[in-house]
Amino acid sequence: MLEWTEEQQELRAGLRRWCDALNDGRAERERASVFDHTAWKLVGESGVLGLPFGTEWGGLGQGLLTTMYVLEELGHSCRDGGLSFSVTTHMVSTGVPVQRFGSAYLKDRYLPGICEGSTIGAHAISEPDSGSDALNMRTTATRRGEGWVLSGSKTFVSNGPVADLVVVYARTDPDAGPLGVTAFLVERDTPGLSVGRPIEKMGLRTSPFAEVFLDDCVVPAANVIGRPGGGFLVLDHVMKWEILCSFIVNVGQMRHRLERCVDYARSRTQFGQPIGSFQSVANRIVDMRTATETASRWLYDTATRMERGENVTVDIATSKLVASQANVDTALSAVQVFGGNGYTAEYGLEAELRDAVAGVIYSGTSDIQRNRIARMMGLDKRKG
Amino acid sequence: MDNTEIITRYLVEEFLPDVDVTELPPDYDLFAGGVVDSLALLKIIDWLGERFHLNLEDIEIAPDNFRTVHAIDSFIGAAGAHLVGKGMS
Ligand SMILES: Cc1cc2nc3c(=O)[nH]c(=O)nc-3n(C[C@H](O)[C@H](O)[C@H](O)COP(=O)(O)OP(=O)(O)OC[C@H]3O[C@@H](n4cnc5c(N)ncnc54)[C@H](O)[C@@H]3O)c2cc1C
Repeated sequence: MLEWTEEQQELRAGLRRWCDALNDGRAERERASVFDHTAWKLVGESGVLGLPFGTEWGGLGQGLLTTMYVLEELGHSCRDGGLSFSVTTHMVSTGVPVQRFGSAYLKDRYLPGICEGSTIGAHAISEPDSGSDALNMRTTATRRGEGWVLSGSKTFVSNGPVADLVVVYARTDPDAGPLGVTAFLVERDTPGLSVGRPIEKMGLRTSPFAEVFLDDCVVPAANVIGRPGGGFLVLDHVMKWEILCSFIVNVGQMRHRLERCVDYARSRTQFGQPIGSFQSVANRIVDMRTATETASRWLYDTATRMERGENVTVDIATSKLVASQANVDTALSAVQVFGGNGYTAEYGLEAELRDAVAGVIYSGTSDIQRNRIARMMGLDKRKG
Repeated sequence: MDNTEIITRYLVEEFLPDVDVTELPPDYDLFAGGVVDSLALLKIIDWLGERFHLNLEDIEIAPDNFRTVHAIDSFIGAAGAHLVGKGMS
């Protein structure tokens, strides 16, 4: 088990103090499906958006593990699941690739706003005809003079409707397989980039997503993240961070859910006894605890090994599978523990279940994670 | 076994189960032929690092270095020379 230093614990406690304010009006925002700019401003002031970024750009200069540890608290104390999702999307979509692969120019120009939250980030990978098969994208970027011309359309872009900066992945070489994709940092007001209306969805309703259209959108060559053709490696790095950061937020949410269920099972009585004394209810809560701890250990263990420079391709996929399913299972269990109350909007648990379903889809569906593990195990090969 | 043969053998064993080692020419376009997709690329990068003791940070992951067996061979030769130059061999 990891042990956290006093400094790390203080950082986490510091975030906790902001969360009451973030929770104000959550239910109304969720009902109205709106992104709350006031809450976002508070998130920015809390410093959480700059956690993993260098202090020279206004960040907190923390490593991956500390970032995850603090984000877990966001999940634990902030009841607005959509807002938390927007936070991790913002952080991993733009700041993470710029810090890892960006030029000094890109870092100086964009990281301060990303750390502060005055620049909201998003990334555009999926397209109407290529979701799981993302690298089969049709959006192209062709060289013209000093810049690149982007053409195509993207979909399901989280934070899209409120973003100031979008990392767009486009094909720059039709004949170079995974090495024919490039990542571009595109400012929202670049001529040729337009964003559709927020798409209505099942959960994470306070985190809007939309289509992004690129119509002869000219992007300066200096806004390529990494090298032309290196987009897949940028994406691979981003996906690792997205999985570790988004799902550790879910672990925080699972811990909170578990605490609520324990309290409820001890105070709610039926047949003259607390419902927690019925073995079926107790077992359900024990299973919630096991799922939460398992997800937590997979995520922190994988992050620890990634920081050591080990190959974590299989472990990232396993962590994502385990954590996303644990989130759905524990959210459904919580609704069951609370009975009729669990099904009402007032208790907030049905919203958590709707939010949780997204996790088995984004960052590569559960089927795709299984495929990756199977291939890494060599299951696609014939023996002999 | 020279490097060309080592690389060919690896690619055939990992990604072309129905092909004989002699059937993969060293100038065959691995992208156009669909041999190297995204997961295959990650596996190859990892294998190159281990098999040829290359530091992954030093591997230049550009399409022209991965397109054919020949290209991989000459690029690891260059990367190896680069490491020798840095006194890390
Ligand atoms: C809440 C949310 C936020 C998102 N945010 C973003 C974002 O910010 N940016 C972005 O670019 N995208 C985003 N996405 C899109 C997301 O990445 C895709 O929805 C996802 O990759 C699946 O693609 P698809 O929807 O096209 O489904 P499809 O690929 O059409 O899959 C449909 C079904 O077929 C299965 N399937 C497909 N291929 C295989 C296979 N080879 N083997 C087995 N099963 C298979 C899938 O598992 C799934 O069950 C988001 C999605 C959601 C739900």
